[in-house]
Amino acid sequence: MLFDRLQALALLQLGDSAYPAGGFAFSWGIEGLAADGMLANRNELDRVIADQLTRRWATMDRILLRKAFRARNCKAIAEVDRLTEAGTPSAEMRDGSRRAGRALLGVWVKLEGPLSIAYRDQVSADARLGHLPIAQAVVGRDAGFSLDAAELVSGWTLVTGLVSAAVRLGIIGHIEAQQSQAAARGLLGELLADTPGADALPASFTPFIDIAVSRGPLRHVRMFTT
Amino acid sequence: MNRLSLNGTIANSRIAAARVGIGGPVGSGKTALVERLIPALLKRGVDLAVITNDLVTAEDAERIRRSGLIDPARVSAVEAGACPHTVIREDPTLNIEAADELERRFPGVELILLESGGDNLASTFSRDLTDFWMFVIDVAGGDDIPRKRGPGVIRADLLVINKVDLAPHVGVDLARMHQEALGVRDNRPVLLTDCRRGEGIDTVVDLLEREVLFRT
Ligand SMILES: Nc1nc2c(ncn2[C@@H]2O[C@H](COP(=O)(O)OP(=O)(O)OP(=O)(O)O)[C@@H](O)[C@H]2O)c(=O)[nH]1
Ligand SMILES: [Mg+2]
Repeated sequence: MLFDRLQALALLQLGDSAYPAGGFAFSWGIEGLAADGMLANRNELDRVIADQLTRRWATMDRILLRKAFRARNCKAIAEVDRLTEAGTPSAEMRDGSRRAGRALLGVWVKLEGPLSIAYRDQVSADARLGHLPIAQAVVGRDAGFSLDAAELVSGWTLVTGLVSAAVRLGIIGHIEAQQSQAAARGLLGELLADTPGADALPASFTPFIDIAVSRGPLRHVRMFTT
Repeated sequence: MNRLSLNGTIANSRIAAARVGIGGPVGSGKTALVERLIPALLKRGVDLAVITNDLVTAEDAERIRRSGLIDPARVSAVEAGACPHTVIREDPTLNIEAADELERRFPGVELILLESGGDNLASTFSRDLTDFWMFVIDVAGGDDIPRKRGPGVIRADLLVINKVDLAPHVGVDLARMHQEALGVRDNRPVLLTDCRRGEGIDTVVDLLEREVLFRT
């Protein structure tokens, strides 16, 4: 057998763009960039996806997810969560990341994931906690995922979220969406093949995306949370 | 139900707020109904909060916040990512989080009204999100709407036919529309309102008190 069937099926379930954790309401800058005339076709979308993956996800979210995945207890997880809060300069990005993370955690509290239940108590008591990569780590642990699998789902849900937002905004069609996802799959595979060092510090550099998200509240027309 | 914690006790050892969904086609009068329900419910001493699922702008949330009818902090807006169906049915998690958050901030809240973004006749609310939901149509949309048997019309706990004041102007036989609506709904509740003049609102509130708040 080339792969573990049950693990693969679990990945399909949790990595599904229809997974009910609110992902469809986040465009992570796609809506804002389109509104500002900086994103109008598939080529530009692919560049934004590559930026998101290489300059934010791989160097920031993934590092934080790995730390939270390995953290010994809820207190240690909360420390990584605070690091996420402190390392995300844009208030709208922080808010979006917390809303998405809390929604995901909420689903797993109802699914009776023990770590999710324990960690949710901390999150309820502190408004700065509950960031998405941290929730992905907690949920991945409850789902019995390996660290590899948890990272893969995290990166892939980012890709499908961006692509499906672009489809709903009318930037690309459904076939182009598949082409974008295939391209992103290649890039994500390369990124995942590189293991970050244990002492890697989270950092991101996506100024255009951060600005587009930060301008969200100023926009009159706005369909997405970020 | 979402409001029970895992060991079967009431979450946070207090009674959670009842969650009432308000769905229906674009422009049928959902926000107008919310604006009428707020003072009527407050008058009966119901502790309230509101969530709106605006589709494109935060217009409805802002309209309710500025109405002076309710503390603006008690009105939350949830973006629907261009998917008004999804956010109340397939994936209601963001609305559930928003409702939980309102309960945390206003511990005495008894009732949370949740206005869906304007949608079509097929929209329904997840039972994980709401305890009770109503579907608002209006006479100007055509008296054939009940006959079209959309899931919203058929399955809602309450069907509201709004803008009854317009019936004579759009050639609608209101009594017949009401009868047909009751017919397709096996006689489950159908109420008539005129949100412009505030008529029929008390009957809606009576029903909510009885069916949702269990006050006799
Ligand atoms: N004549 C009349 N007009 C009404 C009544 N109720 C609402 N309206 C008007 O109908 C229009 C739409 O009302 P809204 O309350 O914004 O409708 P809505 O269902 O919230 O609309 P969306 O949120 O955009 O889907 C407004 O111009 C209201 O003033 C009514 O009972 N009679
Ligand atoms: Mg409205």
